[in-house]
Amino acid sequence: MEGEAGEAPGLGRPAAAKDFHFHHTDLYDSEDRLQIFPEEDTQMRREVVQAEMTNEPREPMKGKAQRDLGEEVDELVHLYGLEDDHELGDEFIDESMPRIEVSEYPPYMMMGREPLREQRDWRLSGEAAKAEDLGFGAWGSAGQCQDLREAYRYTHGHASEEYECYVIPEEEDEEEATDVFCVTCKTPIRASEKVFDEHKEHEVTPLSKALESAKDEIHKNMYKLEKQIIEMENFASHLEEVFITVEENFGRQEKNFESHYNEILETLAQKYEEKIQALGEKKKEKLEALYGQLVSCGENLETCKELMETIEEMCHEEKVDFIKDAVAMADRLGKFLKTKTDVEISAQPEFEDQTLDFSDVEELMGSINTIPAPSAPVINPQAPNSATSSSVRVCWSLYSDDTIESYQLSYWPVQDSSPGKDGAAFTMTVKETYCSVTNLVPNTQYEFLVTAQNRAGLSPASECAVYMTAPCPPIIKSKEIRSCEEAALICWESGNLNPVDSYTVELTQAETPGASGVTESVVGIPTCECLVQLQPRQSYTIYVRALNVGGPSARSEPATVHTTGSYFHLNVHTRHPWLTVSEDGLTVVRSERKAPAGEPLPSDTRFTRCVAVMGNLIPVRGRHYWEVEVDECLDYTVGVAFEDVPKQEDLGANCLSWCLRHTFASSRHKYEFLHKTTPDIRITVSPRKIGILLDYENSKLSFFNVDISQHLYTFSCQLPQFVHPCFSLEKPGCLKIHNGISMPKCVTFY
Amino acid sequence: MALKQISSNKCFGGLQKVFEHDSVELKCKMKFAIYLPPKAETGKCPALYWLSGLTCTEQNFISKSGYHQAASEHGLVVIAPDTSPRGCNIKGEDETWDFGTGAGFYVDASEDPWKTNYRMYSYVTEELPQLINTNFPVDPKRMSIFGHSMGGHGALICALKNPGKYKSVSAFAPICNPVLCPWGKKAFSGYLGTDQSKWEAYDATHLVKSYPDTQLDILIDQGKDDQFLSDGQLLPDNFITACTEKKIPVVFRLQEGYDHSYYFIATFITDHIRHHAKYLNA
Repeated sequence: MEGEAGEAPGLGRPAAAKDFHFHHTDLYDSEDRLQIFPEEDTQMRREVVQAEMTNEPREPMKGKAQRDLGEEVDELVHLYGLEDDHELGDEFIDESMPRIEVSEYPPYMMMGREPLREQRDWRLSGEAAKAEDLGFGAWGSAGQCQDLREAYRYTHGHASEEYECYVIPEEEDEEEATDVFCVTCKTPIRASEKVFDEHKEHEVTPLSKALESAKDEIHKNMYKLEKQIIEMENFASHLEEVFITVEENFGRQEKNFESHYNEILETLAQKYEEKIQALGEKKKEKLEALYGQLVSCGENLETCKELMETIEEMCHEEKVDFIKDAVAMADRLGKFLKTKTDVEISAQPEFEDQTLDFSDVEELMGSINTIPAPSAPVINPQAPNSATSSSVRVCWSLYSDDTIESYQLSYWPVQDSSPGKDGAAFTMTVKETYCSVTNLVPNTQYEFLVTAQNRAGLSPASECAVYMTAPCPPIIKSKEIRSCEEAALICWESGNLNPVDSYTVELTQAETPGASGVTESVVGIPTCECLVQLQPRQSYTIYVRALNVGGPSARSEPATVHTTGSYFHLNVHTRHPWLTVSEDGLTVVRSERKAPAGEPLPSDTRFTRCVAVMGNLIPVRGRHYWEVEVDECLDYTVGVAFEDVPKQEDLGANCLSWCLRHTFASSRHKYEFLHKTTPDIRITVSPRKIGILLDYENSKLSFFNVDISQHLYTFSCQLPQFVHPCFSLEKPGCLKIHNGISMPKCVTFY
Repeated sequence: MALKQISSNKCFGGLQKVFEHDSVELKCKMKFAIYLPPKAETGKCPALYWLSGLTCTEQNFISKSGYHQAASEHGLVVIAPDTSPRGCNIKGEDETWDFGTGAGFYVDASEDPWKTNYRMYSYVTEELPQLINTNFPVDPKRMSIFGHSMGGHGALICALKNPGKYKSVSAFAPICNPVLCPWGKKAFSGYLGTDQSKWEAYDATHLVKSYPDTQLDILIDQGKDDQFLSDGQLLPDNFITACTEKKIPVVFRLQEGYDHSYYFIATFITDHIRHHAKYLNA
């Protein structure tokens, strides 16, 4: 509103021409306007405007007037039930055309526009009426417009004489104009018309309701159409897919058939060639034999003829000659007749019945519709996290579109000594292109290969692929867990003979009201221990998994960690031989009996001179507190020491340890705070329980008499490395450690 | 009891103020110093009373000991009264530094001419706490006391004579057994007369023997190079022996190389403030 008001002076006189634009911009804000004056009586408001206008100079007024004008349009719009901004805007633009072109209403135009220019105050009503008129124009009813025009003229005439009253009839007019819709004629009408006009007998509903139901109807239909469009689109894309598939399948089949067909044709052509050749040879052979026979037959005939002629000649000869020749002739004839004349036909003219062998062709014909033997399948590499400790899931795929009836999966464990196949191979037959192979050894590599099979036969074998089973779950060393308020150090055994890739620690906050129940994981741990960060004063359940390429093992058995105070055990590896450490690792005893003869051998880890033992404190630089229960008459030393403190020296006798030593002699208690120098401290009440606060943050080590909350002494100590609690017994007796307890209030001041 | 503010200085977020008032017990104008930690702006804080040594006024402690930071952090109101009545015009009150003005010894005098004004015990245990409780944001149930030398003696006797009244007590180089030291003998005979049995009522080592319970944690720091220690004015060993017998918890720290000065106090003041805070803020 303010922004528009500021704009107003700039509009100046030509604003009248701009009015139309002004409406437009305003109309898009109509929703806001309506909220600002939701139920306000427009009449009232106009009177106010009127009053202002009379009192104020014209120029600044214009903004206000225009603003109200805008509002009025909005109201009109509201009254017509056109609440949708977009609809409204569009409609308004559309309706502007008829208004300008309508020439049947010159009086209205004159009346509407002229006063507007001459007398600014009128713009208000003029524009309002115009907008109103436009609104009616939307329904395109000439009769209504006529009525309106008359009403307008009436009000306008009055208004030019008397400002105050011009709006009132218009208001009535508006209200009357808006409300009903004739269902029969499907047209909006005024309520008054219902009574008099042709709509008298018609069914009517309120205009807004009619509009709403019409809109609903349209929306419903649109929704249906949208749904249908989506369905059709889906169907079309489906059809497209089917189309492509059909094309592919048929193409493949055609190709297949063509190759078979060509093969058969080739085979037949070859057979034809062979047969023709064989027949030719046979024919030649037979003809040659017959010809030979024919030749020899002719020769015989010649000889016979010659003999006959000779004999005939002889018959005509002299007797003497005849006899002479006859004898010779008789011999010759006798000889000739002795030679047998061959009259058997050597070659049979009939065609021998030769059977043609079409079996191979038949086979080919038969194979047109059957499938070729498959090609070798392709075995996939192992998918991550697909294995368990006793099973793997092997997958493979086909190189081509072979039809497969089954697969033969063979596998054998990879062995370092003799790689490749040996006797211990297993085979199984599966239908799918995957197989879960079970009953395998954990954390072990297996080689797999697969062969495909169908009616036509067996494919070549795939390449070998190595799959690995997941490892066995690790075993948490519950007794070696150390913790403090912020962290815990978890140790475990691998549980697998072969190395694994890494370990995962999972931790869940115990079921307490505030606990989230979320499982957190620490992954990629290369070694068998892990320092996990935790929240103070909570209980956690901890699991460990081992991982290799095959996947994670099952969870280990759970371990529980409480992050109240610091928790540690005595480290038995540091124990002086004269000391015994209890099962729970929290009590150290030096017994009364005589120590075994002979000093123990010097060692880097084990105390040999000072009868001491160390605790395994978690390596975290925070605040650690523990308590030691002592006997008032016992000689003991308690404190902290670096791990590499000389084991052949007394505790506190060097720069690597900080200790409180108590000695009790001739009924006097002596308390010494031992490091490099020994301060002179006197304590009047002997503690039975000593509290020790190790504070890495402030480089302090403090001692307390727990029972009376008394602060005994604080060392300022530089601790570049981690220290461990240390305990020494100079006389037989026992020290009991209390840890995993929260710090007493009095200790928190130090 | 109108309080007149003499000075006010901001210090470690709080205010170090000095007030003057007319003391009923001492019948003279008395000054005291009070430190109000930042915490006192929003709520009631524990009160810790400091008793100074011979010759001191309320100024020595607040200007030399450097206790403000610790008091600010622990949220303790620290009150440091003067060491004796002043300007009472008693004959001989200004003659020596270890008797009379600046040497009230925290006793209620029974002898003339001192008995009218020299009632420092009642002043520090009754009148002053009431004044403080009424006018400042302190919790009357939580108060402790400490002091130096003569004030250390004062702190010890105040705590030992009023079991439960003070949550904790500590002292720097206190006069532990005044009955047996030259300062004590001079002061006690002057203020209390010659009957030595009356002296024992103001002697820490004697008071320990009749102290009823052990719920009092006493911290004592003593410079090893303190000339008054070697002069036999302080006699801490007697006190420690008595406490050991009665099992009254004392941590006595003989600090190598330190003397009787405020430099010694400033070195260990933080330990003492923490000692009191532990009980006052428990």
